[in-house]
Amino acid sequence: MNKSNLWSLRLGFSSKQAAQIESLGIEKFLKQSFASKYEKHLPQFLEDDPKTLAELKEFRNKIKETTSAEGKKVLKQQLRNSSELKSWWIDKMRNDAFPLREKMVCFWHNHFVATSQKVKVNYWVYQHNMILRENAFGNFKELTKKIIKSNAMVKYLDNVDNKKGSYNENLSRELLELFTLGIGNYTESDIKNGARALAGLNLGEDAAVYRRFIEDNSDKTYFGKTGNWKADDLVDIIFEQKNIPYLITKKILKWLVYDNPSDAMVIYYGDYFRKMNFEIQPLLTKIVTEEYVKNNSGSKIKDPLLYILQLIDELQIKDVESKMIAFFLKQQGMELFNQVNVKGWDGGNSWLTSQIYLQRNNTADMLCNGKILNRKEFNNIPEEGEQPKISFEKVNISLQFDTNGNNKKIIADLSNRLLFQIEDDTQKDMENLLKYDFDAKEAHANNAVLRLFNYITKTPEYQLI
Amino acid sequence: MNRRNFLSLTGTFTGGVLLLPEFLHAFGAQNSLVVGEQCLVFIQLNGGNDGLNTFIPYENPLYYDLRTKIAIGKEAVIGKNKGMAFHPALKDFAQMQQNGDLTILQNVGYPEPNRSHFRSQEIWQTATDATKYISEGWLGRYLDLQCKEPQPTAGINLDSIDNLALKGMEPNTITVKNPNQFKVRSDKDDTIKLSDNPQLDFVRKVANSVTEGSDEIQKAIAKSTTENSYPKTGLSKNLEWIARLIKGNLNSKVYYTSLGGFDTHDNQLAIQEKKLTELNDALYSFYQDLKKAQLLQNVTVVVFSEFGRRVKDNGNGTDHGTAAPMFIIGGNNKGTVLGKNPNLSDLDNGDLKYEIDFRSVYATLLQHKMNFDSTKIGINNNTVSGLF
Repeated sequence: MNKSNLWSLRLGFSSKQAAQIESLGIEKFLKQSFASKYEKHLPQFLEDDPKTLAELKEFRNKIKETTSAEGKKVLKQQLRNSSELKSWWIDKMRNDAFPLREKMVCFWHNHFVATSQKVKVNYWVYQHNMILRENAFGNFKELTKKIIKSNAMVKYLDNVDNKKGSYNENLSRELLELFTLGIGNYTESDIKNGARALAGLNLGEDAAVYRRFIEDNSDKTYFGKTGNWKADDLVDIIFEQKNIPYLITKKILKWLVYDNPSDAMVIYYGDYFRKMNFEIQPLLTKIVTEEYVKNNSGSKIKDPLLYILQLIDELQIKDVESKMIAFFLKQQGMELFNQVNVKGWDGGNSWLTSQIYLQRNNTADMLCNGKILNRKEFNNIPEEGEQPKISFEKVNISLQFDTNGNNKKIIADLSNRLLFQIEDDTQKDMENLLKYDFDAKEAHANNAVLRLFNYITKTPEYQLI
Repeated sequence: MNRRNFLSLTGTFTGGVLLLPEFLHAFGAQNSLVVGEQCLVFIQLNGGNDGLNTFIPYENPLYYDLRTKIAIGKEAVIGKNKGMAFHPALKDFAQMQQNGDLTILQNVGYPEPNRSHFRSQEIWQTATDATKYISEGWLGRYLDLQCKEPQPTAGINLDSIDNLALKGMEPNTITVKNPNQFKVRSDKDDTIKLSDNPQLDFVRKVANSVTEGSDEIQKAIAKSTTENSYPKTGLSKNLEWIARLIKGNLNSKVYYTSLGGFDTHDNQLAIQEKKLTELNDALYSFYQDLKKAQLLQNVTVVVFSEFGRRVKDNGNGTDHGTAAPMFIIGGNNKGTVLGKNPNLSDLDNGDLKYEIDFRSVYATLLQHKMNFDSTKIGINNNTVSGLF
């Protein structure tokens, strides 16, 4: 596979950036990715959503009466907006000139999990997502501080129930176990004391705030240090611990390059991350530039997001709504804003089962046939008791290939763009699909190249980058 | 979008198992299929099999004049019948004809023949005019209409690549690369390494289990055994598995497989003999197997190639040509020879003129075996009389 194609897939969601990587070089491409701008103002569909605590209270009163027509309507709108939020994000992934930011937002989204199912308030989920976006290339320590003080997180990990005298250890535990040090690097006493320090950190207008009557202002001993610690102090202390860089470094390597990075590699990049004071940009630069020159393709199973966005990009499908992509992701076990548990998606081998593989193949067949789900029916909410209808509609698809090339040239172009490795049998199959007397100039040649592409998408090799 | 409705619409995680939405049609429980017990088995000979050296006009002096280097001698041919006889490698074809189970359709082709492998296969697989293009295959279109609900095993393609003929709008067919996957896996298999790359090894194992997922196929295999020994060739393996699926009452309508290597521009005598031997031995084992199981009357085997070859040889081989014989075995066919013997004096640019349009044969198969009106899928040719 061409390096530029491989890294376009690794640092984004398709081959779209390959030409840029080629012309700018990987380092400059990274610099421009880091410098890329992003939309900061509130998306329109959230304008009327409740945001302040007072608005939320009023809202809750309304939906208490879910049997009332008004309550039902409001609830429906909430669900719709929560689905809009997914589309809003997927749009960014599809359209950003430098998608590395969204790639990293998704990484942090799966690190600092706070699902909309539990958080429930769309605006908080949005805020949480924006913190990840602002800090996607920022500082890990600062990001950790901001996230545990987000309304979404204190709600998701039950810190709203963590009160002086009636502690809830959930946030304190995950802060250590999943967000920073990892199991084996702390004691139960640290968790208990952490929970005391976090007691009273509760929902606020813009971010979580300590509430005077339920916080615990006595001294706590955390990793051997004693004082009246609060959330930021906990993070400062955690980041002094010896093993702090490794869990996150390993996860970044897994997200971008390797399903199974070696311990030596994790330590190598992790130590550098610490040296850079947990600044994410230099870490990413070091990982990407050093891994770029290695022959390491085929070391990671594509996640459903990459799988579907690459497919849609290759087939140049314009008409598929991000809502349908969200739906596909859910079916594939990668529902955005709704991981199954606080650990997030495991990734690696867990992305593929035979059923999921089959579903990928069927989806590839469907799209290569120029079909998508009927949009009208998809958007239509069936009345109670009514069977939802599902049918297909045609969409335009086209695939880029060299119309001046012969069969071998086209096969080589496609496989260098799509496959990390081509074995003899695969080559034979492809030459069987596109025979030596294939004429690329002939008016319907694209149909045959599409069949070749469809074949490629179903090979095991295509599942890997 | 209402999430709850979609939840109920498509299923979600249940006990850790991902239930698939219907529109993505995984293998599910399938109702028994459509009409009767009849099925069609296609054997596509890839590369353009030389018809004149397969079913040979051994009494026509022009045959020997035009093919000085590669003609098959009168004394070598077998199963002589009204001026035509089989290539010596096809000794069991002669036997099947003797038994009244084989019909030969002569000079099968189509108007405005295309001599590109690529395009001619497309024409045979989509059953369109040579100047028209559609992206679904003729059997795919048939199955789209025949199956009210998608039936993943309505058509089974044993090959390493999908076959255009079976491509439809609905996923009614599956392609099985390696029929050994059908075998129920044992724990031992997990230790087999499919790649040194652990990730690829994992994905390949998942890929293999995809076809194993079909309950219906597993059931059919459990119900049947292999009764006679097939030769150890690729085609033979595929036919052996097809026989098992038929005997196990899988009730697929269409089975498809192919045999390559017929593009004999050079060294034709040796190559074609080898290939025809492979075809003969595999097909005859299949034939005997079905006969013994008393299923031959339900199974119609169709052997064809995308085109025949030039009448005059080019030295030791032949170039791409046009019309050629097509073979029908089983399915209670009349066991005869249809069409005139090839006319070697009235040629079109050195190639045979077709007499029977292949789409007429398709129409006949659909009409007589599947009880299906072929005009519904755009095949308007008359049926061939005297075949069934």
